[in-house]
Amino acid sequence: MGFLAPWFLAGLAAVGLPVWLHLLKQHKTTPLPFSSLMFFERRTQSSVKHRRLRYLLLFALRAALIALLAFAFARPFINSTIVASARGGKLLVLAIDNSFSMRQGNRLEQAKSDAEAALSKLRAEDRGLVLAFGSQAHLMGEPSTDVSAMRAAIRAIQPSDDHSSYAELAHTLRSLALSSKMPVEGHLFSDMQQSSMPPSFADAALGDNVTLVLHPAASGPLRNFAVESVTAPARIYDIKKVRIQATILATGGAAGTRRVALVLNGHEIGSKSVDVPADGRATAEFTGLDAPYGMNRGEVRIDSGDSFPADDHHYFSIERSDPLPVLFVPGREGRDLLYYRTAVESSRDAAFKLENASPAQAAGMPLSRYAFVVLSDVGDLSAALDQALRGYVRAGGSLFVAVGPAAAARRKVPVSDAAIHDARYNSPDGDQFQTAVSLDTAHPATRQAGNWASVKFFRYFSVAPGTSRVLARLSDQTPVLLEQQAGDGRVLVFASTLDNISNDFPLHSGFVPFVDATAHYLARLDDPHANFTVGAFLDLRSGREPSGAAIEVFDPNGARALTLAEATQTRNIQLSQQGFYEVRRPNRHNELIAVNPDRHESDFTVIPQETLTLWQNTGQGSHPQEAGPGESEQKPVDYWWYVMILVLALAVAESLVGNWHLGIHKEAA
Amino acid sequence: MLQRFLDPATLAGLSGLDLVAKTVVDGFVSGLHRSPDFGFSQEFAEYRAYTPGDDLRHVDWNVFARTERCYLKRYRGETNTQLMILLDTSASMSYGSSAVNKLDYARFVAASLCYLAHEQRDAAGLIIFDEDVANYVAPSTRQGQLFRLLHAIEKAEPGTRTDFAKPFAHFQNFLKRRGLVVVLSDFYEQPETIVKTIEPLRFRGNDVILFHVLDPQEIAPRLREPALLIDVETKDSIEVSPEYVKNEYRRKIDAHIDAMQTRARAAGLDYFLMNTGRPLDEGLREYLAVRQGRL
Repeated sequence: MGFLAPWFLAGLAAVGLPVWLHLLKQHKTTPLPFSSLMFFERRTQSSVKHRRLRYLLLFALRAALIALLAFAFARPFINSTIVASARGGKLLVLAIDNSFSMRQGNRLEQAKSDAEAALSKLRAEDRGLVLAFGSQAHLMGEPSTDVSAMRAAIRAIQPSDDHSSYAELAHTLRSLALSSKMPVEGHLFSDMQQSSMPPSFADAALGDNVTLVLHPAASGPLRNFAVESVTAPARIYDIKKVRIQATILATGGAAGTRRVALVLNGHEIGSKSVDVPADGRATAEFTGLDAPYGMNRGEVRIDSGDSFPADDHHYFSIERSDPLPVLFVPGREGRDLLYYRTAVESSRDAAFKLENASPAQAAGMPLSRYAFVVLSDVGDLSAALDQALRGYVRAGGSLFVAVGPAAAARRKVPVSDAAIHDARYNSPDGDQFQTAVSLDTAHPATRQAGNWASVKFFRYFSVAPGTSRVLARLSDQTPVLLEQQAGDGRVLVFASTLDNISNDFPLHSGFVPFVDATAHYLARLDDPHANFTVGAFLDLRSGREPSGAAIEVFDPNGARALTLAEATQTRNIQLSQQGFYEVRRPNRHNELIAVNPDRHESDFTVIPQETLTLWQNTGQGSHPQEAGPGESEQKPVDYWWYVMILVLALAVAESLVGNWHLGIHKEAA
Repeated sequence: MLQRFLDPATLAGLSGLDLVAKTVVDGFVSGLHRSPDFGFSQEFAEYRAYTPGDDLRHVDWNVFARTERCYLKRYRGETNTQLMILLDTSASMSYGSSAVNKLDYARFVAASLCYLAHEQRDAAGLIIFDEDVANYVAPSTRQGQLFRLLHAIEKAEPGTRTDFAKPFAHFQNFLKRRGLVVVLSDFYEQPETIVKTIEPLRFRGNDVILFHVLDPQEIAPRLREPALLIDVETKDSIEVSPEYVKNEYRRKIDAHIDAMQTRARAAGLDYFLMNTGRPLDEGLREYLAVRQGRL
């Protein structure tokens, strides 16, 4: 027996309170002078003794109440003998690493045969469980005593492209120990890669009641070359501007010259030779990519000549399309078109082609073909154009509105209908100007906006933010860049002009990144995810898809990765194989997703033996060899709750006895 | 000192009531108390023929001038009675549950009676006793008698224990004339003993009034918890419980009061219970009303 919070036992000192009340205070009879004792008799003392007896009962109840209260808060527990199992057995867990690195040589087969051999340790009172693990553990059945079933489960384990994680394995072993209430004896069959250990060693702690026996499937490091990464744009618009970089990694002491080939849609279109230093990296760069329009399957290969060819290639997906048209509607003759066009054409990937039209012309143009529309200080907005713009935005189109003097005359921002309160003007010749002091760097449009601090705003307009998200404010807290959601579309409002009259923004280096970022955001090109690592999750639905619309996913083998029900409901899918996943969406916008194994798996550096010993020592379970039939362990059982029930009963009894005394007092009074 | 004992409110309560003696006692100064004896008074009774030996001061010389016969003029005198107050100053009289203890209360009563007697030209005397006679002021109507009495009452201090036999035997030696005897005491003695000790005064023609002075806490004590009671006279102690005080003690003190009242009435003594928790004038007025037969 013991206490989980023994310092609360100090509360036992409070028992002194009823002792003082009853024994020291209450029973100390105060002498009262009286005129004559003629009518009192000695036998009254028995009555007093009777009363004292009752007080003693009350005292005992109160003292016990306080003592038990302190006792309960001290969280008493008793060591209860818990039988590990009905017959004192254990749970034998055979954990087989089937990560990408186990594809090397016959590592996986070796691990599986070792696991089958370990089945001989299963005693009659034990139960066994087989699991395969990479970044997640997969139970290959239920705990059982059926050796043949476990052997079949071991043989069913297939190699994966996943990354192994010993933290996940330790977590699974701890969970099994808790759920089975049996000692767990884990047997790990793995290549003991250093990269499988979590950065924090505590995450791999085995915990109570778990022991771990290691069965290494590899004896030492391996010389290996691998394509570590490929940097390629997800979309290309100008094939001359395309630049593809591949990083070649050497591990295990490997070094030498390697040939790097660029393959597109199964055809090699270029190659280079790189010298890779020992345990270092080398980069190969390919410029220009004559890729056909549409989705393209890219691959970078090397002729490694090592014993692990599975990591000698790296997939990437690339989509070629024409530049997206952007409609620029200027309100008046000015330099805003010049500055904006120059900025768009100078952007990183030449993704946009700017077209300009007057407001009158724009009213008759099909807006849906444009990636987004720019209204630059448009004052005289015809009803037809206003309606067309509103319909375009509600359908998912995007709009950039620059507010100038002409637009301010309407007192309302087009489409968004945000009120324009007043114009503020400072002469460019003077020292009076405003600067942008706060930028919402969490927003894609302003995330890489650069430095706005040196931009001087001479004329700007106070736009009521309403429910809009303010992305930038001037030093007088006037919002200068706002975003408003209208229907499915996006509306950005710039509370100044795009020329260099109201501000000198176009003359600053931050203008081009600003235009580029806002253009990509408005054209919804801000989050191109075409390359993933095995084990990652791909978001399939953003919330804008029609309800019940099916999204079909084909895995690298060309098989449907989702059932029909999953295709209409599931929001994401885990990419478990390397290769190309094809995603077909209801709007016919298909995606090609390239998936590659985690390149940590290419590093075959083995965990030092000291670290492995430390890891084994984190398990506190009884050693399997020492375990015998009927083995039991001591578990603390907290029973403070029962003490609290007793306290409650005593409180009721104390109240009753106390009322009894109080009743006498009333009668005497 | 006069103001201390003769509370104007108390005297105002008494002035409307006359102290009428139940029996006629002898006296020689006119007053409210009628006497079968003749004496000095302004109310003419009869003439009597002079006989040798009579006091020549009583001869009506106007009659002698007209008739040349000596007649003595005789008057129907209104006599004054003699009030004797016996004040118990035993230690038990010092008990009080409030600001005024029993002795203080008895002092007030005694002083009031003295003043009342003084107003009626009655001779008033005082005996202060506990187990012995502590002080004695002889009855008199002399000037300054009231202040002597009040001074003696003022100086009365709680003594030892009560013993009625000794002071009453001594008191009978002082008592020459019949009159009114008032005993102020808490009477912590057996009623038989008290009555047996006092009733000889009644046999000698005195009108005896017993004022039984008790504190409210003595009549109906209240205890919330067991207490150790200490006898202020004997210093004996006893531990009592609230239940006993509430039941047994009250039954006994009530029986004692009833016995005192019964035996006193049987012996021709007037008995009146004075609760010190009640107003002083109310107690006196109630007693005098009883004496007048109004209640």
